[in-house]
Amino acid sequence: MPPFRNGLLKRKASSVESNQNVSSKATDESEDGSADEDLLRGELDTAADATDSEHQDGEEAASDHEQDEVLFDDSADSTFGDDDQADIASDESSDLTDSEADDESENDDDDDSDKEDNSDDYEASVDSGAESGVTHTHSGASDSETDTPEKKQVKVSKATKQIPDSDIKPRGIKNAKQKSSKESEHRTKKQDKTKSKTDDSIDRLADTIQKASVNIQPVGLKDEYESGDTSDEEDRRNTVGSVPMWWYNEYPHVGYDTDGRRIIKPPQRDQIDDFLKKCEDPDFWRTVRDPSTGQDVVLSKQDLELIHRLREGHVPDAAHDDYQPWVEWFSREVLATPLRAFPEHKRSFLPSRSEQQQVARIVHALKMGWTKTRKQLADERRSKREKHFYNLWGSAASEEEERQRGIHKHIPAPRRALPSHAESYNPPPEYLLDAKELKEWNKLSETPWKRKYTFLPTRHASLREVPAYERFTRERFLRCLDLYLAPRAIKMRLTIGPDDLVPKLPAPRDLQPFPTAEALQLRGHVGLVRSADFDPSGQYIVSGGDDATVKVWETSTGRCLRSIAVECAVSRVAWGPAPGLSLVAAAAGARLLLLNPGADIGAHRVAARTDELLDEPPPQHDVQADPRTASCAEWQRVSPEQWARGVRLSVLHFRAVTHVAWHARGDYVCVSLADAASRAVVVHQLSRRRSQLPFSRNKGLVQCAIFHPTRPLLFVATQRVVRVYDLVRQELVRKLLTGAQWVSHMAVHPAGDNLLVASYDRKLIWFDLELSSKPYQTLRLHGGAVRCVAFHRRYPLFASAGDDEHIVVSHGMVYNDLLQNPLLVPLKQLRCGPPAQQLCVLELRWHPTQPWLLAAQADSTLRLYT
Amino acid sequence: MSAEIAEAQLQVRFITKQEQYAVPDSPYAIQSNIQSTELNTLINALLKETNSSLEKAVEFDFLVCGELLCTSLAEHLQEKGASTEETLEIEYLERFPAPAPQDCLMHDDWVSTVHANSNWILSGCYDNSIHIWSTKGQHKLAIPGHTSPVKAVSWVSFNGDQAVFASGSHDQSAMLWVWNVPNNSVDCVVTCRGHDKGVECLAVSADANRFATGSWDNNVCLWTTSLSDEDNVPAKKRSKPEHGNTREPLSTLKGHREAVSGVQWMDFNTVLSSGWDHLLKLWDCELGGIKQEIAGNKAFFDVDWSPLNNSIITASADRHIRLYDPRSTESIVKTTFTSHTGWVQSVRWSKTRDTLFLSAGYDGQVKLWETRSPRTPLYDLSGHEDKVLCCDWSNPALLVSGSSDNTLRIFKAKHYESA
Repeated sequence: MPPFRNGLLKRKASSVESNQNVSSKATDESEDGSADEDLLRGELDTAADATDSEHQDGEEAASDHEQDEVLFDDSADSTFGDDDQADIASDESSDLTDSEADDESENDDDDDSDKEDNSDDYEASVDSGAESGVTHTHSGASDSETDTPEKKQVKVSKATKQIPDSDIKPRGIKNAKQKSSKESEHRTKKQDKTKSKTDDSIDRLADTIQKASVNIQPVGLKDEYESGDTSDEEDRRNTVGSVPMWWYNEYPHVGYDTDGRRIIKPPQRDQIDDFLKKCEDPDFWRTVRDPSTGQDVVLSKQDLELIHRLREGHVPDAAHDDYQPWVEWFSREVLATPLRAFPEHKRSFLPSRSEQQQVARIVHALKMGWTKTRKQLADERRSKREKHFYNLWGSAASEEEERQRGIHKHIPAPRRALPSHAESYNPPPEYLLDAKELKEWNKLSETPWKRKYTFLPTRHASLREVPAYERFTRERFLRCLDLYLAPRAIKMRLTIGPDDLVPKLPAPRDLQPFPTAEALQLRGHVGLVRSADFDPSGQYIVSGGDDATVKVWETSTGRCLRSIAVECAVSRVAWGPAPGLSLVAAAAGARLLLLNPGADIGAHRVAARTDELLDEPPPQHDVQADPRTASCAEWQRVSPEQWARGVRLSVLHFRAVTHVAWHARGDYVCVSLADAASRAVVVHQLSRRRSQLPFSRNKGLVQCAIFHPTRPLLFVATQRVVRVYDLVRQELVRKLLTGAQWVSHMAVHPAGDNLLVASYDRKLIWFDLELSSKPYQTLRLHGGAVRCVAFHRRYPLFASAGDDEHIVVSHGMVYNDLLQNPLLVPLKQLRCGPPAQQLCVLELRWHPTQPWLLAAQADSTLRLYT
Repeated sequence: MSAEIAEAQLQVRFITKQEQYAVPDSPYAIQSNIQSTELNTLINALLKETNSSLEKAVEFDFLVCGELLCTSLAEHLQEKGASTEETLEIEYLERFPAPAPQDCLMHDDWVSTVHANSNWILSGCYDNSIHIWSTKGQHKLAIPGHTSPVKAVSWVSFNGDQAVFASGSHDQSAMLWVWNVPNNSVDCVVTCRGHDKGVECLAVSADANRFATGSWDNNVCLWTTSLSDEDNVPAKKRSKPEHGNTREPLSTLKGHREAVSGVQWMDFNTVLSSGWDHLLKLWDCELGGIKQEIAGNKAFFDVDWSPLNNSIITASADRHIRLYDPRSTESIVKTTFTSHTGWVQSVRWSKTRDTLFLSAGYDGQVKLWETRSPRTPLYDLSGHEDKVLCCDWSNPALLVSGSSDNTLRIFKAKHYESA
């Protein structure tokens, strides 16, 4: 017997699974074993029919009923006691599954109590039948040992327990049904539980029936084990393997032996049998049931000792010496034959990849600032210890700005003082103002900030009586008034500087050439130099002045080549523009003299031709005796003496000549007379020695009259208006309103579309004739009256001068593009000579080809600016 | 800043192209605020050490960075933007000695033109006369002949006792004169008529066979200087009876749009002319066409060309003298010389030294320039009281200028040696 038991015990200890099976088997048997009794018996009978050794064993077992029964009882009382164990387990399970199915537990309450009653009974009987404390300890230990597997097992058992209850009525198909339900028990557990509620009463009834009809059949398989050899036994025992043994619950056998024969379950015992066996059998306490066979096995003394040792936590082998001397195999001493003689693995020389990853992770964390180095931490600690200073004097900039500048230190506003007693609705009497204080309070009404309080402490009997804020209505009204009367609007402020208003003009240096400095002074005149002009090639200058001389100068050297004395002061000289003629028109008093400056001046041939032309008298039929014209201008014969001086023609007018202007072709001279009313403008034709009075009516005080450079137009400037006449059609074309008080002089742009008018009221008025009859631009460049203006023939230059000591040279670009307005840029102020008789510059002329400006000045000089 | 400069030390090395004045080629440390006079004493001291035979102190000019040193060295370097760290090379050359005023020849009217040769000075006057003076200042002859102010005169040739000269005048003619020196008699051999307006300038070619005149009629005319008519004048012209000898131009170069103010021969075939139309033109005499044009932006008053350095200097209607290179195709001013305060009327190269020229301005100054000193002239030859109209340096020893104060002033270039 000992070997068998040993093996049985060994198996039990080795596999928890088998243990579970044992317990489950036990529970199964305890619960529904009785219900299957009939079937089992039948099978037993059939098995008995087959004449087998086992069958004989079964017969023997039946004959050894007594012993077997004891054994069975023993098992019932053993540590793996069926009912006791099952009940405890079921209790535990109910506790454990409480959370899963509370309602179920409640419903089962009475049922459970019923069971518990039963178990209690059994427990009591067990206790009573207990013979030694060792058993108890054993059972407790076994409880603790098998605790966790039991929990699982208990659930299973519970489910299995209920299934037969539900299937009580269809008895015939019970087996198949049970099998299937067992397979799917985990899935259907809940359903089963819900079913069990309904079938509780039936269950209980079945239990009682089972208990009542238990037939105790001891199984006599003992001698078989006794006779067999140990190794053989193992094989012969059961071949089903490690399957859950409750699969065989419904069957009369528990498995198959090596020959394939069924191992028939031993007969089942009920609790009474167990109890009786417990009382009778002295070895009951050490009898256990083998779950794989259902046999009761009595543990030998060695087995018990082994169990004891295991429970004590010792090595199961009793021969094992726990305190045998220690042999230090792996010591620091180098052995002659080392235990590990193989060389170091190659891996140990390679850098560890995992370490590298770890390091990389740390480095990344450092980079990202998730972790900090010791140094950083130390710095932080130090910075915490250091004192912080607030940027007290920083500007009250916006938060964002502060953040940008790195100012994060927020200084909170000082906390307001707690309300004092005086602020209470019912202040203590010492805080109320007495008469003296009230007087002072009232006295300080003009300077309320000097008062003791910002409010008047007032006493109210209760908080209920505190009135509302008395100024509320007024302040709300004022606020509304503000909102109503001062609506908010975004003000668009115009930020136009004074420089933006000035038109963008090109820089003067980009507009070169223009005269910038005085180059020559032509001295020779005595008194005012009234007028000057260049000859068409620019080689000579003619000038006339108050000293009654007309002088001819060489431009390049300033040499006075010739001086022609005339009768009276010369007011105007103008060199004839015709290239084939050498004629200078000089206005001396009421006379218009046409001078030939001489053979040495200019080309000889031209001078000679001029003389020839003027020498021969004009055809008489051309000379018309218009009395009005005749009374106005008289062509006079030149005396030989005058001829010798250079005078070729002389026209005597009835009034002083103020202005002389040549027509571009050189045949006509337009003369303006002073105070001549309707006869103020006279046009002389040289080739026919004829005069014309183009106007029959007085249109105003004529200042000057000039020809259009290309078209047959005549510009006549009266005091305020410039009129443009068409000479061919003899009609007024345009009337230009200058806007000036008194026009002094005018000049036509060489292209003919622009007119510049100077006025005594310091203005310079530019007319774009294509644009309108209103001034295109009015320039106020002078501090005094403007007496003369001049356009350059080639360069886009014009100059103006007057009674102030400056000549202003300006850029006057006229574009061929009609859409582009003329560009006027003042360029240069040229200093002129000192004023004489409050006059400064009397005449300005441009050199015909060079950007040189000639000024006839009141200080008896002519100045050439280059 | 200036104090720093003053304290700075400079490493300099003196070099020269005049072998007789060579000093050891070793660097010297000098103060940077040194002036040319101090440099002068330094060089003289060095010369004394090396060459004891030199008994007299020599005046030197110093070229730093290609420009004559006029201010202190530091200022000069600052102006040039040169580094004071490196060793500076200072070239020195014997200074052109200061011309001494020699004579003042009084005229009756403005002296408009002057030309000197080795012995004689020819001057044209606004009183229509030509004057011949000896270089000693002796008035030899006053020649009336023109009917208008004489604007240009030039010696043509000397042949023993016979001297030939040409003159141009505002009377639209140029005249060839023969002056018999011993008899002191002058004869107008040929009158050249071809201009429609006054002759403004005149230049005789180097071989003295032809001369060119520029005029107010915008033309340049070329004439022969031969005194006999036969070989030059066409037959039909010769047959035409005329008083005296009148000559037609060999060719007329038309191209200027305004007056021709200056004319010079560059070689036997090329004439350079300047005009009021802001143009310098190089004419090919054979073909009568324009070889090259240089555009300025001011009217030119005078032009001169030097065969020594093949450069053109011009006087124009402002106070600047401009130096052009006729070889460059672009009209780029190479150097602008600015010191005059009025118009510059006349410029003349030195005939012997390629870097010197003379200018006469309306500010009454005659200035002697060194081309490497564009800001400061070497010498101001003052003395004139009015506009200086002309100057001449044809005789290397004489600097002659005529003015509108009716004087002709002669300055003598002392100790003249050709470099």
